[in-house]
Amino acid sequence: MTRSKSDDNSALLVHAYLDGELDPANALSVAQQIDKEPALAAEAERVKALQQSIRERLPREEAPPGLRSRIEASVGGLRRDRTGPSWRALAASIALTAIVTSSSTWFMAGSQQQPTMIADVLVSDHIRALMAPEPVDVISSDRHTVKPWFNGRITSAPRVVDLAKEDFTLIGGRVDVVDRTPVSTLVYRRAKHLISLTAIPAESRFELDKSPRTVSGYNVVQWVENGVSYWAISDLEAKQLEDFARLFRTSKTEL
Amino acid sequence: MRLVASNPPELVSGLDDNARFRSIVMPHIDEAYRLAQWLTGNRTDAEDVVQDASIRAFRAIRNFAGGSARSWVLSIVRNTAYSWLRKNRPAEVVTVEDLEAVELQQANPGDRSSGTPEAALIAKTDAEQLRAAIAALPSPFRETLVLRDIEGLDYREIAQATEVPIGTVMSRLARARHRLIATIGKE
Repeated sequence: MTRSKSDDNSALLVHAYLDGELDPANALSVAQQIDKEPALAAEAERVKALQQSIRERLPREEAPPGLRSRIEASVGGLRRDRTGPSWRALAASIALTAIVTSSSTWFMAGSQQQPTMIADVLVSDHIRALMAPEPVDVISSDRHTVKPWFNGRITSAPRVVDLAKEDFTLIGGRVDVVDRTPVSTLVYRRAKHLISLTAIPAESRFELDKSPRTVSGYNVVQWVENGVSYWAISDLEAKQLEDFARLFRTSKTEL
Repeated sequence: MRLVASNPPELVSGLDDNARFRSIVMPHIDEAYRLAQWLTGNRTDAEDVVQDASIRAFRAIRNFAGGSARSWVLSIVRNTAYSWLRKNRPAEVVTVEDLEAVELQQANPGDRSSGTPEAALIAKTDAEQLRAAIAALPSPFRETLVLRDIEGLDYREIAQATEVPIGTVMSRLARARHRLIATIGKE
């Protein structure tokens, strides 16, 4: 063994000794070595000084207050993966989603979409999303993640707003297909309730009266804003869903 | 060797997945967030990494077989952070080959002699200097030092969290500390 190797080994043992990782016999023998050899004693002093500086100068920052609730929100609706992390593959294969979704929309292949039919389709998409392993294809509470995800998947990036302060947590987004056109759907959560918010480039024929309506037990709130027709669908009470719509409309886009 | 706080499988086996997640993962969110912050270098990315890691942990919650829940959670955070870095900042990912080059360089006596400051000087380092010196460590050294000297994990827990043998933990830790000491000595 070379001199430097044995020095290195002694140094490692000094670190392990200071970290309380040695059994009593080895600890004693290292303590004696430190007493005898000034180089080891100096090493021990430096390591102790370093550990003390770190302990005293670097406060251990706690996780930001919203993080735990965001984690609980994003995990709350998940089911454990029984076969491995296939959700990543699922999230990556937007083509699959588009095909699966459009199979349900074949019947509306005609060019004149009636508003009530759009509501039916979107409610079906919402129900299907509730039954799927993930209600979203991109999971994130961060609008800066969700919005760019839509790039290249649909022609216009949706307006994404952060309503976490109002207790509507963004959990992600997915692409739905309406009238053979991929459209963006954002998914928000309040308590146990999911809200699917679909943005469809508006044409007048998509406009509905503003009164809330119900399709298959789900509340639907619809409005048009800046040339985009928005459809919010949820099992939330109508009043709360209207609150959500109002908050979404009035909050500034911060992107 | 210290005893490791553990959640024996029999205590959590009767729980549903959400309850398991709450008892295994949620107690370690602060550590997870700090490790992610040291690995990604900023708070926003750390939050994203912890959130993604939590989803991975939930999916794999039945794979937790007892032992240190903290090590298990931190190993997932660490893997998530490295996937995130590979995707978003591939230039910063340190491979094992890079690390060997680093260690060779570190073993070079010329490099070593450049700084062995007195303990008194080390004790005077300010927080910013210390933080910058730790941030500049190659990630395998950085994560080992953070887990030991900031989070207080023992060697066995660090070995589990970083998926290397205890001998590697020991040598990385010593090298990380020597580098910090040398950096502080230069300033």
